[in-house]
Amino acid sequence: MTITAGVDLGTGTIKTVLFNIEGDQIEWLARRSDRIRQRDPFDLAEKGYDSVLADAGLSRDDVHYVATTGDGETIPFRTGHFYSMTTHARGAIYLEPAARAVLDIGALHGRAVKMDEFGKVLGYRMTSQCASGSGQFLENISRYLGIAQDEIGTLSQEADDPEVVSSICAVLAETDVINMVSRGISASNILKGIHLSMAGRLAKLLRIIKVREGITLATGGLALDDGLMAALNESLTKQKIKVEARSHPDSIYAGAIGAAIWGAFRYEKLQQQGLLAKAS
Amino acid sequence: MSTAEIIARCQALYDDLDFTSAREWKNADPKRKVIGYMPVYVPREIIHAAGMLPLGILGGGDQMEVIHGDAYYQSYICRIPRSTIELGLTKKLDFVDGMLFPSICDVIRNLSGMWQLMFPDTYVRYFDVPQTYQDHIAGEYYIEELKELMAGLEKLGGVTITAEALRESTAIYNENRRLINAVYDFRAKQPSKAPSVEVYLLMRAGMVLPVEEHNQVLTDYLAAAAEEERPLRDNCKIVINGAFCEQPPLNLIRSIEMAGCYIVDDDYMLINRWLLDDVPLEGDPIANLSAAFLHASADTAAKYCDRAEDVGQYLLSTVKKTGAEGVIFTAPSFCDPALLERPMLADRMDEHDVPYISFKYAENSGQMQPIREQAGTFADSIKLWS
Repeated sequence: MTITAGVDLGTGTIKTVLFNIEGDQIEWLARRSDRIRQRDPFDLAEKGYDSVLADAGLSRDDVHYVATTGDGETIPFRTGHFYSMTTHARGAIYLEPAARAVLDIGALHGRAVKMDEFGKVLGYRMTSQCASGSGQFLENISRYLGIAQDEIGTLSQEADDPEVVSSICAVLAETDVINMVSRGISASNILKGIHLSMAGRLAKLLRIIKVREGITLATGGLALDDGLMAALNESLTKQKIKVEARSHPDSIYAGAIGAAIWGAFRYEKLQQQGLLAKAS
Repeated sequence: MSTAEIIARCQALYDDLDFTSAREWKNADPKRKVIGYMPVYVPREIIHAAGMLPLGILGGGDQMEVIHGDAYYQSYICRIPRSTIELGLTKKLDFVDGMLFPSICDVIRNLSGMWQLMFPDTYVRYFDVPQTYQDHIAGEYYIEELKELMAGLEKLGGVTITAEALRESTAIYNENRRLINAVYDFRAKQPSKAPSVEVYLLMRAGMVLPVEEHNQVLTDYLAAAAEEERPLRDNCKIVINGAFCEQPPLNLIRSIEMAGCYIVDDDYMLINRWLLDDVPLEGDPIANLSAAFLHASADTAAKYCDRAEDVGQYLLSTVKKTGAEGVIFTAPSFCDPALLERPMLADRMDEHDVPYISFKYAENSGQMQPIREQAGTFADSIKLWS
């Protein structure tokens, strides 16, 4: 029995999970996500960790390995850190065993990862520096339009004549949106246009890393945006990529899940070698 | 003294591009002289025996804006000669009485000529080390080279370098090498207790401090680091190769460790560990220094290897000795020696299933995210799949 914690420090949200792993038996003990919102992410990570431990009735001494991912390389209570490609790949296999690729769509980046059935990363590609394909951009636009974030998906799917925005630059895209508002384009069509623009970039990432068929799991905060998922499958069809993009209710935790599972793997490996690392 | 206090002092020395500590050393006695040297190796024992301070010049780092220096070199030349010229032209080296330019590459050789033209009052020497290793050819040549250096320093300082003084200096540098090797061994065995940035700053301090002071700093650090409890992370152990001349920014070293890699050996400031064994104190001290260079010195791309099958063996033995799980080839952009040697070293690693990655930097590189991701995924692949 190995108790492991996974902490995914994202740009907008910290996700913390706790697992009990014994061989192939993986028991998910507790989870928590916290929006950062200008708070100290390290304080939040600490609180999130203590909170999942309390939920599971455990203490820090009960945890064999604390694995961080995302921007969590310097979280003081970590035992080890794994990079996002590695953890999202493993987390996706846990949530959707048939998946052979991941689209991690977070607040600041979009990332496509190709992996094998064990979660080994075979290739990856990220969106470029500009945030026009990111959750932060979508959040900004919804705020300008006066729309609550949980309405975005529904409204986008009501669109009848979407207006595509620039997929290269967030500043140009925002200018496009301002022009659309002044031209009287409906919020539904604007949002669908943004979704299609983002989906086009994400589908291109999959094509670049040669993901041509099978199931791709969307992870990260935007995986729960139904409008984006619909646009993504439309884009894949349009680009003749025979891939089905799926989401999962726990997609947002994929990175943290992958970190925790790899943490357990490392713990067992180090134990066999007599080289145990210990979190502070 | 705690490691934090020791490292704070080393950091201050590292940050000080005016070389205040070396200036103060010189100002304490009007007869004192300071001799600057560039990577990779010069025999500091001779400078020390002349009563002078050897001062390592490793470029301007990432804090110096290069304005004049860029006018002296084409865009396809590395950054260290530009920032060194900048140091000279902005009078940060105006207290330096002599400059030694070892035969590391054409760029540094040309810099020695430029220095002579720019600073005609400074003693400048292109220090040409041998590229073959037989005593009757290279040995005789190198002994003459060392004697010429000695004569030049004697003339500059108005002193005579005696055999006894050379033996005393050799003994002090033997002690310095023993302590430095002790720090490296300590880090290789307990990397969590000696973070690479700390070890790097300790070694950099040796470039500007008198060797006796550096020995004390090393002794204090070893004692303090052994006492201090630090969490052991699940990082992989790697060796850094290719950074023997232009130095990486501190943030790059920090980023590699942050990405999940314990650096257990490196070739930063190789001069500190160039001679592998104690130099004998009996007999002719110049002949001893020559023999040490020819037969017991470190290997690097800037040193000719006369047998193809020996290329990479030194790196391989370092990997084995330290228990490293991989190699990160990190060389300065446009560094001919490091980049030309890299494929041969990589082949040697392939032959022995040692995983490796490669990237380039400049001393003023600022974007660490790509390096963190590359080093981090490398660490992941070692931890999970090797």
